[in-house]
Amino acid sequence: MATVAQSIKYRNKVVDFPLENPEELNVPDEMLHENLCKPTTERTKRLKARCRWKHASAGEFIDKEVRAGIERMRLVTESHKATAGKPEVIRRALGLAHLLDNSTLVLQDDELIIGYHAEDPEMFPLYPELAYMAVQDYLMTDYCPQPKEEAQEILNYWKPFSIQAKCEPYFDPIDLTRMYQVSSMEGPMFASGYNSIVPPYETVLEDGLLKRIEMAREKLVHAQAEMEKTPWDATKQLAWIPKIDLWKAMIIADEAVINWARRHGRLAKIVAENFETNSARKEELLEISDICHRVPAEPCKGIKDAFQSKWFVFLICHALDRYASGFAQKEDELLEPYYNASVRDKSFQPMTHKDVVELVECERLKISEHGAGKSRAYREIFPGSNDLFILTVGGTKPGYVDACSDMTDAILEAARNIRTTEPSLVFRWDPVGRVKTKRLVFECIRDGLGYPSIMHNRIGVDQMKFFSKFSLNNNGVTDDEAHRWANVLCMSPGVCGRRKTQKTRSEGGSAMFPAKLLEIALNDGYDWSYSDMQLGPKTGKASEFKTFEDLVEAFRKQYAYVCSLVIRAKDVMRHFECRVMQMPFVSSIDDGCMELGIDSVELSEQPNGWHNPITTVVAANSLVAIKKLIYDEKKYTMQQLLDALHANWEGHEAMRQEFLNAPKWGNDDPYADPIIQDFYENILGGELAKVTNFSGGPVLPVGQAVGLYMEVGTRTGPTPDGRFGGDAADDGGISPYMGSDKKGPTAVLKSVAKVQKNQKTNLLNQRLNVPMMRSVHGFDIWKSYMDTWEQLHIAHVQFNCVSTAEMKAAQKEPEKHQDLIVRVSGFSARFVDIPTYGQNTIIARNEQHFGADDYEFLNSPL
Amino acid sequence: MATCKDCSFYFAVPENAGDYKPGKGDCVTQKEDAKGKYWLSKPTLNVTPSCPTFKKSK
Repeated sequence: MATVAQSIKYRNKVVDFPLENPEELNVPDEMLHENLCKPTTERTKRLKARCRWKHASAGEFIDKEVRAGIERMRLVTESHKATAGKPEVIRRALGLAHLLDNSTLVLQDDELIIGYHAEDPEMFPLYPELAYMAVQDYLMTDYCPQPKEEAQEILNYWKPFSIQAKCEPYFDPIDLTRMYQVSSMEGPMFASGYNSIVPPYETVLEDGLLKRIEMAREKLVHAQAEMEKTPWDATKQLAWIPKIDLWKAMIIADEAVINWARRHGRLAKIVAENFETNSARKEELLEISDICHRVPAEPCKGIKDAFQSKWFVFLICHALDRYASGFAQKEDELLEPYYNASVRDKSFQPMTHKDVVELVECERLKISEHGAGKSRAYREIFPGSNDLFILTVGGTKPGYVDACSDMTDAILEAARNIRTTEPSLVFRWDPVGRVKTKRLVFECIRDGLGYPSIMHNRIGVDQMKFFSKFSLNNNGVTDDEAHRWANVLCMSPGVCGRRKTQKTRSEGGSAMFPAKLLEIALNDGYDWSYSDMQLGPKTGKASEFKTFEDLVEAFRKQYAYVCSLVIRAKDVMRHFECRVMQMPFVSSIDDGCMELGIDSVELSEQPNGWHNPITTVVAANSLVAIKKLIYDEKKYTMQQLLDALHANWEGHEAMRQEFLNAPKWGNDDPYADPIIQDFYENILGGELAKVTNFSGGPVLPVGQAVGLYMEVGTRTGPTPDGRFGGDAADDGGISPYMGSDKKGPTAVLKSVAKVQKNQKTNLLNQRLNVPMMRSVHGFDIWKSYMDTWEQLHIAHVQFNCVSTAEMKAAQKEPEKHQDLIVRVSGFSARFVDIPTYGQNTIIARNEQHFGADDYEFLNSPL
Repeated sequence: MATCKDCSFYFAVPENAGDYKPGKGDCVTQKEDAKGKYWLSKPTLNVTPSCPTFKKSK
């Protein structure tokens, strides 16, 4: 039997909570999520049943068939050797062309969207030109590309050419060693190869690549004429040389992409005519063949064109040209014109709304199969998933007009029906958003997907305008363009569209860890609990700090050191990306790069600097406890605290309880909240904002956690909030520490709303009560919560809606709970694929129960 | 010696294709594993010596 929420007294009446779907009464709590998957068609049911998931758990791939391929490494290396002496940007284009001309293509049964990025559907490619450490990692595992000797030879070849080798000489070896600990800061991207991008899909779908080639040709003719003008003026005319090289490279890259897409078309036709026996599937394959011949070469005319063209661009930008996590796009607005052509007008590829939902489900399954060659550390921090794939829907168009459409609804319906962990969705919540769409958002959350993650639409729009002011070429987004934004990865908004999008993670991304920084601030910069080294500057002995402000100042110095070091690491990488990691294909599809003849890595019209403080709340709660018990009440000395921490609280349990019970974040507490607000706004935000990055803008904090709250938690010693060394840290950027928010859901909102200044966004995880959400009042309560959240001007919120009973049942019999999905941090994961350590952190999160006071505050219409 | 040209899995690249070169073809093979059927296409040349998957064309 399902649990039903208890009745309550509210506004002088008794309110009951019967289930919205009475049939669920017979579904035990422990099995709810196994009864919610309803693929829209038999095809997507089959595709899901045979999906080649690439999930990892504790850094290991769960499916033992998954492994690295050697083909990309081999082909990119062949080209690099063969093109020595040519301009670097031309070499990059020729490298892509050699890869696309000679790579193995994959076509799977039943697919409506085709294309893969390795020589076998169980494989994924590697990128020795980026970070040799990341590839070396694979060579030591069972996933090693074969033959291993060749892979090692390729890697050895690339070591002196790799981005990592180019960047390292510009850092003090001590700083490098500190970065490689990944305990006070994430390792530099030049060592991990981790990356993200927002491809300007719009130009490909709207123009087609043949038109882009024509544009580049016209630019070349113009440039050549400018070069030949007399009298010669070197101060002006030499500047055409790199532009000429880039436009030539664009043409090479685009022609290669067209040929590669048409090879797919040829494959589909060959299979239809020589292998396939089912006549209906033959017809489908011939249609796919026609589509791949036309797109991305030509503009898209219908919704099938759009999905296929977009997929090809995704593979190039995220997996073939170079690696990039993410699936950033404003998908509903991007596809809306083609939805209208096919569904509303029936002018091309006519179909029903349900057919579009099936296509979205197919795309979700393609993403679920997409393998990423991330290093072990990055596999560890996304347990239960394969990578970060996040797309954005909802929000507004210029003039704050609702951007929700039937395409938005199709995306949400598909997510609800097919139940896959990837891609995650972001919904931009705005008061003008239509209720019909918000109801679908609710259904996804109520059914436990953990997404859509919800972003405050107007905060995002204002943020685009804010960063625009720092544009180095005074061409940041206009007020209208500011409405077209999507999350670049889990949490940070970035502009999307035909130009000005983020092209590399050296603009924004990566993390630093305040809990460890506080730990070393208490120990004169020394990390006694993990790396056993001087991890930061010497900032004094904590036992000699006379005031709380002395401690905060020591922390600030540790944090400032890390802020400048991590952003310098990104910008030094950017410097070398501009020289050897150009992206002529991406440049060709960006209107700005095409117009100005500047490569997409280098051209930054719209700054979008951010970095992620992770473990902030452990640090913040610790500061509160120290202030209260050491400096205000003087109940303990700093030396006593240090002794207790170095003993991991052993022998100091009574003392630990006092520190544990000190006021905590998320309870609307008048003592804790001002201290923590100041910590967020003036220390974390204020100090980071002093930094200016490659693009000329400030860098702002995006507090979040991914799975790093677990990984870094294990590297963080005992902390003054009462936490034991090695325990997980806080699971969001601004979420209360698990189980420490004891005053209900609205107290959490009131606390979080206090932090406003110097922030980009902060992740708020909340766990909602399943019986309430599945009751007849579920949507009304949740919507009133969301409306209040919006009015409180909070940047983000996301929800787990899964019972403890079901999670514990899954721990006992994982094979029976393959469809149980939970929200970890910026991503959702299959619960049974998360290590037990991580599963327990999700179970430990406080399940919010709403009381009459909460309903009153939310003005819930019960 | 048999070459790709004689194999039923060899499909010559049409002359109007962007990647056409004389003698270039697609080697298309069907695979099947526990998760289903799929096809692979690899570029080859008609003069390439036959491989273990060679199947004489009719």
